[in-house]
Amino acid sequence: MEHLTAEALARLVDEAPTHEERNHLDSCLSCQEELGALKAQTEALGALPDLRPPRGDWEELEARLISEGLVRGDDGSGRSILPSGVGWMQVAAGLVLLLGGAAIGSSLTRSAGHPSNAVSADLGRTPELVALPAMQVGNVEDAEEAVRIAEQNYVDALIQYRQMAQSSGRFTLMDDPASRYAALDALVRAGQAAVRQVPADPFLNGFLASAVAEQEAVLRRISNTAEDNWY
Amino acid sequence: MTEAQLIRKAVEGDGSAVRALYERYSPRVFAVVRRIAGEDELAHDYAQEAWIRAIRALPTFRGDARFSTWLHRIAVNSALQALRKAETRRKRETPVRDDLFVAPESGDALLQQRLERAMDRLPEGMRRVLILHDVEGYTHEEIGELVGITAGTSKSQLFKARAKMRHMLTTSRSSTEEDGVEAWSI
Repeated sequence: MEHLTAEALARLVDEAPTHEERNHLDSCLSCQEELGALKAQTEALGALPDLRPPRGDWEELEARLISEGLVRGDDGSGRSILPSGVGWMQVAAGLVLLLGGAAIGSSLTRSAGHPSNAVSADLGRTPELVALPAMQVGNVEDAEEAVRIAEQNYVDALIQYRQMAQSSGRFTLMDDPASRYAALDALVRAGQAAVRQVPADPFLNGFLASAVAEQEAVLRRISNTAEDNWY
Repeated sequence: MTEAQLIRKAVEGDGSAVRALYERYSPRVFAVVRRIAGEDELAHDYAQEAWIRAIRALPTFRGDARFSTWLHRIAVNSALQALRKAETRRKRETPVRDDLFVAPESGDALLQQRLERAMDRLPEGMRRVLILHDVEGYTHEEIGELVGITAGTSKSQLFKARAKMRHMLTTSRSSTEEDGVEAWSI
């Protein structure tokens, strides 16, 4: 009998050999060795270790979770979403992006047909956010705190808006992907402009990547509504 | 804090609870999506998507299965679906990064790298089945359900994949021996 094929030997890693195969294996050292190597290979595959995600993975995920309203902006222990040691450019660009987001959230509220109703009234913090650029910040810590507050207010406002719009039976951001896509598009363009200025900045790149990813997710949702919330 | 408490808090939108779950399970999630994706860049996207889906679906987690099992299934589904949607596969010449491994308790790092590289170079269908069966421990019936093939096809793909892996690793061993590098020991 000729040697067993590689695929036959691969099958014998976890299946019993036929009578003919058994007879051959008993007398063929080469096939025995090959089968042993395949068994060792399979065992080694089953023992492969877990892999560490790349650096910055959590920060990017956190930004996306916040942007989707799946988690609150802080963790209750005062942890900032900003990495330590951020520079002025990062803080400034972060403010621009976040305030842009707040403005978009505000404009979405108006465009949704809720002019000066209860929903708008409950978003009373928004004007404060828009006024933030006038704040005098004397150092990085103040600026970081301003960003943190702006970020928190923005997320709170969006969550409130979503809840109230949902309870009123009108559209929500999630139910109106076209508007959301347009809003995200503005964020992406702002992010791209910021990254062009500071191309190597990890914070800005992370923010832009999150915005692009979210925009793509919304696009997928638009093109394939049936698979929304699939998991 | 127990896992059930963490999950409850995560459902309520507590970022620190979500992070605690992430810290605990991200190596497991990243490992499976990295192997399914076959390259680092895609793996990063797939892992992010898997986590987003998992956190979004967290309110539906009833505790019928272990959380790790539930999360793992979401990660596998998410990566497989993303892979199916990919229009073209990129050439996989990206080397496995040395800093990816989480402190292996035993075994040879060189062997692990060679296995990972060889898996990355397998054709798509074979690779998915090999990873799900030999690395992740799924049955052929489960793989059939996940991938949309019969159990028989899954077996056939697995045997081909094992044989091809063996061939690639043997070839790799020959070339490293010629280069004077330590040979693979299987």
